[in-house]
Amino acid sequence: MKKLFAVLLALSLMASMVCVASAEDVTIKFWFWADNDDYAATMQEMIADFNATNGKGITVVGEQYPWDGGGFSQNLLTAAIGGGGPDVATFKLTATPSFVGNDLLAPLDDFINNWADKDQINENLYNTMRSAGGQDAIYVMPWNTQVLYVYYRPSMFEAAGVTVPTTYEEFLDACAKLTRDTDGDGKTDVYGFGMRGSNGGQEPWGSFIYAGGGDWEHLDSEGAIKGMQDYIDLYTNGYAPETAPNDGFAEVIDNFKSGLTAMTIHHIGSSAQMMELFGDDVAAFVFPKGEGQWTSMGDTETVMFESCQNKEAAFEWMAYLATGKGQETWCTVTGNVPVAARVQEMEQFQSNPFMKVSIEGAPVAGILPVRDTTTEWIGNWPSMIQQALLGQITAEDCMKTLQADLWAE
Amino acid sequence: MNSEKNENRIAWKNRLSRIFLLWVPLVLFLLFLLFPFYWTFVTSLKLPEELHSLKVIYWPQHPTFQAYEHLFGQYNFLHPMKNSLVVAAITTVISLAVSTLAAYAFSRYRFVGRKPLMVLFLTNNMFPTVLLLIPLFTIMRKMGLLYTPASLVLSYTTFTIPFSVWLLTGYLNDLPIALEEAAMIDGANRAQGFLRIVLPILLPCLLATGVYIFMQSWNEYTFAVLFTNENSRTIPVSLKMLVGQLGVQWDLITAGGIITVIPVCIMFFFAQKRLVAGLTAGAVKG
Repeated sequence: MKKLFAVLLALSLMASMVCVASAEDVTIKFWFWADNDDYAATMQEMIADFNATNGKGITVVGEQYPWDGGGFSQNLLTAAIGGGGPDVATFKLTATPSFVGNDLLAPLDDFINNWADKDQINENLYNTMRSAGGQDAIYVMPWNTQVLYVYYRPSMFEAAGVTVPTTYEEFLDACAKLTRDTDGDGKTDVYGFGMRGSNGGQEPWGSFIYAGGGDWEHLDSEGAIKGMQDYIDLYTNGYAPETAPNDGFAEVIDNFKSGLTAMTIHHIGSSAQMMELFGDDVAAFVFPKGEGQWTSMGDTETVMFESCQNKEAAFEWMAYLATGKGQETWCTVTGNVPVAARVQEMEQFQSNPFMKVSIEGAPVAGILPVRDTTTEWIGNWPSMIQQALLGQITAEDCMKTLQADLWAE
Repeated sequence: MNSEKNENRIAWKNRLSRIFLLWVPLVLFLLFLLFPFYWTFVTSLKLPEELHSLKVIYWPQHPTFQAYEHLFGQYNFLHPMKNSLVVAAITTVISLAVSTLAAYAFSRYRFVGRKPLMVLFLTNNMFPTVLLLIPLFTIMRKMGLLYTPASLVLSYTTFTIPFSVWLLTGYLNDLPIALEEAAMIDGANRAQGFLRIVLPILLPCLLATGVYIFMQSWNEYTFAVLFTNENSRTIPVSLKMLVGQLGVQWDLITAGGIITVIPVCIMFFFAQKRLVAGLTAGAVKG
């Protein structure tokens, strides 16, 4: 009888433990985009690692969605408004106003303030996240950044007798000298600068505006107009490919990869492909200082949705990505700049020359003002710039319109 | 002798004019039409260094099927292909069944609200797809259909059925009602008349409409990206994954493109004759 009682007691204890464990088991739905299928596989490996090691019964289910030229944010918004969004998703800072405006994101301040790794991330980055939401709360968790810099081909610099520019004037001069007819057929074979006149071009273009003496708050200032005029001159003088007004990301990178351009602006995300193709014949420098200096900080963050039922568990996953093993793995594989100080100090990141340039550029790196008008402004930017490059409007008219559109109330 | 020479000259002239007025423009047109397919295929065979070469390479030095191996191996492209096939086939069958019956009713019966209903079907197609996204997403979620092929089939029928109804109503209006009446005089009822007389004659038109529906469902992206997950992804979404924020996997995307057009090409190959007959039915009034 005693034995039977003991067995029954043991069974009931086990059953209750199973019940407790299953009550604690939570599933977090995570949406992400990846730049290629290797990165997607890496993300799934990270998810498997987190699921196996978190020890809190948290299971993350990762779903990949296409980047779709930024359409990811729109799809995420549609799903969230439709009530079927994920618990956590990868995110772009510029999309914050539309999500915050619809009360879709969960504020993260309480989680961050009670987080042991809070100080691993620079306070400036938190401030940038705070400003993106247009309120005092932090809705967006830093994950990794990409600082734009200038890629160049040392062999082309050598052939044209050009040294790495240290000032804006030297940079403009280098664009001219690097533009060459290498086979003597009267046609340009190498262009000095791979200009991005189409989608996404506002980020590299911002460096010219600051170097000319302008800033985002005063796009119609004399300095900003000068920067715009320099940009137009690069194209009209033939130092950028003729297709520049229509060139987006894929075109400028392909032009650089094919040797059609000697310099182009992008971030560390392209460095792995560049090194694979050119070996040592590719290097980078920070966009040099003119009257002012600015470079764009590309960003990828994570957000938690207000609809998430298990916010503590969701934050565990976000923390794993921001400062944990996920930060190290993702930045190692993708070559993005880590946000966690511990990971930044690791040998593999310190010895990477492109990472070094990224870190050098970080003090002058920033983002576009995040306003309700920003998304539309970014959408309209290519057509304004195309008109200016093709001589249909003047630099001054272009900048006045861009100023009015960005700062419209 | 002279007349023979003249005849030869005329024949030679005819041959020349046929070459320059028919064959040369035809070949040029075919080149223009087929070059993008050729270029897509060639790109899928190139090595990475040839993909980004400054020189235009019309045929790779070392053609490789690595991209195809990667596509069907690591990328598991067969899975979205299977999903696309299931969705497109079911959408085609459902849309054809519903729209054939609806078109028959619109064509043969005169009932109250017939015209407003037809106009309603037409206006449905005027709505931009994105406007329907959020409501349809909510409906699918509440019905528990989200992330299943059924959600895509249901959403695709929202635009394939109205268009098909209009298309088939046009065909049926041109079909003499006397044929069914003759069958009914011989003892057939309305259903038998429809099944045994109308349907066989309508077959080319059904085929043409079916191909249209299949292609629409096969290529659709906007609904597919939101209503599917990793398990139910279709081809357009799967291919779009290869265009990242920082790079495009040109070799995989072109290999995927080639593989994607193959089923459509095979379908066209077999359906070609009937398709042309179906598309031109009712085009010429006797």
